[in-house]
Amino acid sequence: MITLITGGSGCGKSTYAESRMLSYSLPRVYVATMIPCGEDAARRIARHRQLRAGKGFETLEKGVDVGGLPLPEGASVLLECLGNLVANEMFEPDGAGENAEERCLDGIRSLARRAANLVIVTNEVGSDGREYGEGTERYMQIMGRLGCRIAEMADEVCEVVCGQPVWLKGGRA
Amino acid sequence: MILITGGVASGKRTYARRTLGYTDEQMADAVLDARPVLYNLQNLVARAPENAQGLFDALREKDVVIVCEVGSGIVPLDRNERETREQTGRLVNRLAAEAERVVRMVCGLPQVLK
Repeated sequence: MITLITGGSGCGKSTYAESRMLSYSLPRVYVATMIPCGEDAARRIARHRQLRAGKGFETLEKGVDVGGLPLPEGASVLLECLGNLVANEMFEPDGAGENAEERCLDGIRSLARRAANLVIVTNEVGSDGREYGEGTERYMQIMGRLGCRIAEMADEVCEVVCGQPVWLKGGRA
Repeated sequence: MILITGGVASGKRTYARRTLGYTDEQMADAVLDARPVLYNLQNLVARAPENAQGLFDALREKDVVIVCEVGSGIVPLDRNERETREQTGRLVNRLAAEAERVVRMVCGLPQVLK
């Protein structure tokens, strides 16, 4: 089962994704794509770690090339989040650069093939009507397109609004 | 008229192609001409936000109007950007009231609002 979860900042998508994961049996793997740099990142990571504490998650930190991650047999996997993964692939020295979109998708396909369940959290970034520099515009385009492409392969897709899942494909009403 | 909204690269034109059957040649990029589909309405508004509401009569004659969501961020400091955002929203509300169908795209999936 592949589930894609999207939504704006602070809408409750992480919490919802996690509750989804808890409905799956062990082993549960959390793929953290944020590369810790700076105080803000450290705080976010600490908050997310606390949310998952004692819930049977094995945490794997991988900022780029998630397809290469070894997974235990029959694992349910939570990938959080696509926004960081895309940025890392585009801008980090060991990222895929020009091939960021394809490497992200290949990585997700690889996880989906090997995992019993895969939950992917992404982020709505293209709804503020502002114009940014070229790199950011490209980032927004790739985020939008990847959202569409992952949704196509997913069994279920929802947008979380105020903590409530609004189902766009499959899922529970 | 069918109104399609959604964020950047959310699948708005793909919906017009795949579901509604229009071709790229039938789609006008933020210009009013004889083509049945207009997209990037927000860019048309941005050229003269003070005249935004004057676009209404021409737009209601279109088969399909496509607009990018522009109102879900911080209020812009720049006056023109602020007006564009506000006027796009107001215009889209009027168009939605007239439209036979209103679709919001998220991750390439249509949410039919009307």
